[in-house]
Amino acid sequence: MALKALDIYKILPKKNCKECGDPTCLTFAMKLAGGKADVDLCPYLDDNAKSVLGATTRPPIRRVKIGVGERSFAVGEEFVLYRHEKTFYHPPGIIFKVSDRQTPEEITQVTVRVRDESFTRVGTMLRYNGIAIENASGSKESFARAVATVEESADLPLVLISTDPEALALALVQVGTYKPLIHAATPDNYKAMCALAKKHGCPMVIRSDTLDGLVSLAKACAAEGVQNLVIDVCAATLGAFLLQSTAIRQLAITRNVPELGYPVYLDTTRTGMQDAAMALGIVKYASVILTDPLSPEQAKAALTLRQNIYTDPQKPIQMNPGLYRIGTPQKDAPVLMTVNFSLTFFTLEGYLESTRIPCFMLIVDTEGLSVLTAVAAGKLNEFLVRDSLKKFGVENEVSHKNLIIPGYAAPLSGRIEEATGWKVLVGPRDAAEIGEYLYTEWKK
Amino acid sequence: MDLNAQFGWTGTVGDVVLGRTRAEGGTRSVSYRIGGGTTLPFLDTTRTTPSPLVAFECCDNPRFWSPIVRDYCGDLANDPAQWAKTAETVYGADLVRLNLTSTKERNFSDVGAVKKTVESVLSATSLPIIIEGSNEPKIDSEVFLACGEAGQGERLLLGTAEASRYRSIAAAALAYDHSVIAQSPIDINLAKQLNILLREIGVPRDHIVIDPYTGALGYGFEYSFSAMERIRFSALKGDVDLAMPMICAPADSLTIKEVRDAQGDARHEMAVQWEVSTSIAAAVAGAEIICVRHPRSVAVLKQAFAGLKNSVPSRSAEVR
Ligand code: B12
Ligand code: SF4
Repeated sequence: MALKALDIYKILPKKNCKECGDPTCLTFAMKLAGGKADVDLCPYLDDNAKSVLGATTRPPIRRVKIGVGERSFAVGEEFVLYRHEKTFYHPPGIIFKVSDRQTPEEITQVTVRVRDESFTRVGTMLRYNGIAIENASGSKESFARAVATVEESADLPLVLISTDPEALALALVQVGTYKPLIHAATPDNYKAMCALAKKHGCPMVIRSDTLDGLVSLAKACAAEGVQNLVIDVCAATLGAFLLQSTAIRQLAITRNVPELGYPVYLDTTRTGMQDAAMALGIVKYASVILTDPLSPEQAKAALTLRQNIYTDPQKPIQMNPGLYRIGTPQKDAPVLMTVNFSLTFFTLEGYLESTRIPCFMLIVDTEGLSVLTAVAAGKLNEFLVRDSLKKFGVENEVSHKNLIIPGYAAPLSGRIEEATGWKVLVGPRDAAEIGEYLYTEWKK
Repeated sequence: MDLNAQFGWTGTVGDVVLGRTRAEGGTRSVSYRIGGGTTLPFLDTTRTTPSPLVAFECCDNPRFWSPIVRDYCGDLANDPAQWAKTAETVYGADLVRLNLTSTKERNFSDVGAVKKTVESVLSATSLPIIIEGSNEPKIDSEVFLACGEAGQGERLLLGTAEASRYRSIAAAALAYDHSVIAQSPIDINLAKQLNILLREIGVPRDHIVIDPYTGALGYGFEYSFSAMERIRFSALKGDVDLAMPMICAPADSLTIKEVRDAQGDARHEMAVQWEVSTSIAAAVAGAEIICVRHPRSVAVLKQAFAGLKNSVPSRSAEVR
């Protein structure tokens, strides 16, 4: 059970030396109690104090970093079961899987895709996160060669999969400094695996098909000094995964079973239904998701779902209101009004750019609501438009007084004309038709 | 004994029956009892609750339908009865949702034709039916009564009631003993209010299915997902006014940019990916009826739901 700040304070050294980054031991204790700091930040805690505090004060799900450098990513450190209670913080890594039975060309091709491909949505670049190499051949040498092949073309976070600690040892000679995630420690091999994880400082997956088995493994590994763990429930069905991952999340965040407080691993290729497993893993608590290389369609759906689920449900992604330019608009360029919901902005901006007609976008502050939603909520109204025209000095930028408004804002057109003195032109509802509209209506 | 999540729920999602078999006074080959959940979706390992149902959506005037689906279905799109039958026999749907898009035609008045369409669909397929009536308050009353009458004894699910227009549909449902879809725009409080309004005019709780409104993936789904989770959560906490099964229709998927921008077969694939990803997430959040428009989505979802129902611990999942 969680300790109170005062109980924690009693165990701290009370030097108030600030080395933890907090002004006093008491404020540090308060942070620990809230799961917002790590005991390791205080250099003066003895081992006994650490072990008392460790399990109860660290975030209920440990933060685990995979890889090093620019593309490394952290998972874990989540606090809730439902995203509406707070938010989900660390999106799962999507890892493309290759095997050491594939040719070097095939392996390189997949690696290069993960290195280079991206997809931009709502102004954010979405990417896959790493490569998993599986020792399917059973040969240590083939495994090491495959790992070297990946490493030659990219510095990506890696997952090394083998049941043979010797094969992993050989591969780690080459890539150990990049802190790959190693898979997997089981009751039979955990000592050797822990030794490898410690030697290279890598995170490690523990694997069992029961939660009890995972608890004992987690304890055993912690006793060996390995704490950067990721949990594989080795689910063969979607249902088994959902059941186990939900139980792990729930037991971890309530701290009922702190030994389960680690991020969860899901290999979608084992379920026979990769698309469904991907969606399931994203919404239900997977942190490291392995998949065969995704088609462009699978990739867009998966990356978009991940972006949605890991967006704070209380805060729509917003743009700063203002006057934006597409190209280099002159005094006679059209002015298009829209809302400051990022999705709306980027959608419209994309279509405007492809028209190649320089123009102004007047972004008004609807507190992040889309056009229809803002109209329905009364947030988009004539006064907002009038004040925005003034505030952003639109009159000084153009030599006309024509404002194009979104088709869905048509009911407001009369009132906007009255309040602003500008002539209102109702544009199409669908931004995809803006090019045609500008060519036929504006240019004439 | 293996460890399990401890929730301590007290509530149960109420039941709703869809369709009536001959033995029950209708002509359907099956009827479904949905709801009954006592925990989060798919976590009930005793498996007394059914898998989510997959409804295939068709319409009676393809002019108002997605060009992607028209392209895929070809001539079938002009024949609702044949289309519904294909949904059952070829696509493998559990339900058919007939959208009366013909009522969107300007100055529409041929209610008799609508009734005939409903009758022809009911005789072409033996599956339980969802009917999406008019979208125009002026003709609502007539259209819903015609549908209700045509489906008498079949326990249809009629859609869609909203806070601003629910009386006509409720009246038809009450008169002919059908159930009602209650839709609110992604807001748990509005969902609850509408259920109360429906109950106040006599629609029993076990005749209501909640539609929390499904924004497409990337276009509002982040809100829909949480609205569904919250509704399920409230039901399990004991709020009877939210303890109804939910329906999810990711219909907006077919109009989003990513799908429209794709070409040829990639476009079908994109549409299916979008419908399927949204549907899986919605089912896990609590939706018990999933409606799709692309025929290829049906089989993928049926298989996925079977996999989700199968939570036998994977002792056989072996380590290579
Ligand atoms: C997600 C969503 C929400 C989210 C908010 C998301 C957000 N940040 O805005 C939440 C859940 C909070 C929400 C709340 C509400 N919502 Co809402 N919501 C939606 C949903 C599903 C998607 C909206 C969206 O993101 N669209 C995508 C963006 C990109 O669209 P857009 O901004 O309109 O931009 C497009 C066009 O307008 C055009 N465009 C944009 N700018 C410009 C500019 C020019 C010049 C031109 C030419 C074109 C153009 O291009 C874009 C792409 O084509 C819609 C349903 C739907 N399918 O639209 C309902 C919807 C808009 N909501 C609705 C309602 C009623 C509400 C509420 C009032 C309900 C309530 N009482 O709580 C509230 C209002 C908000 C509040 N009080 O807080 C109704 C509106 C009904 C109506 N026709 O008026 C809708 C249509 C749902 C429905 N069918 O009932 N909603
Ligand atoms: S580092 Fe330790 S001793 Fe120093 S102020 Fe922080 S908690 Fe106190």
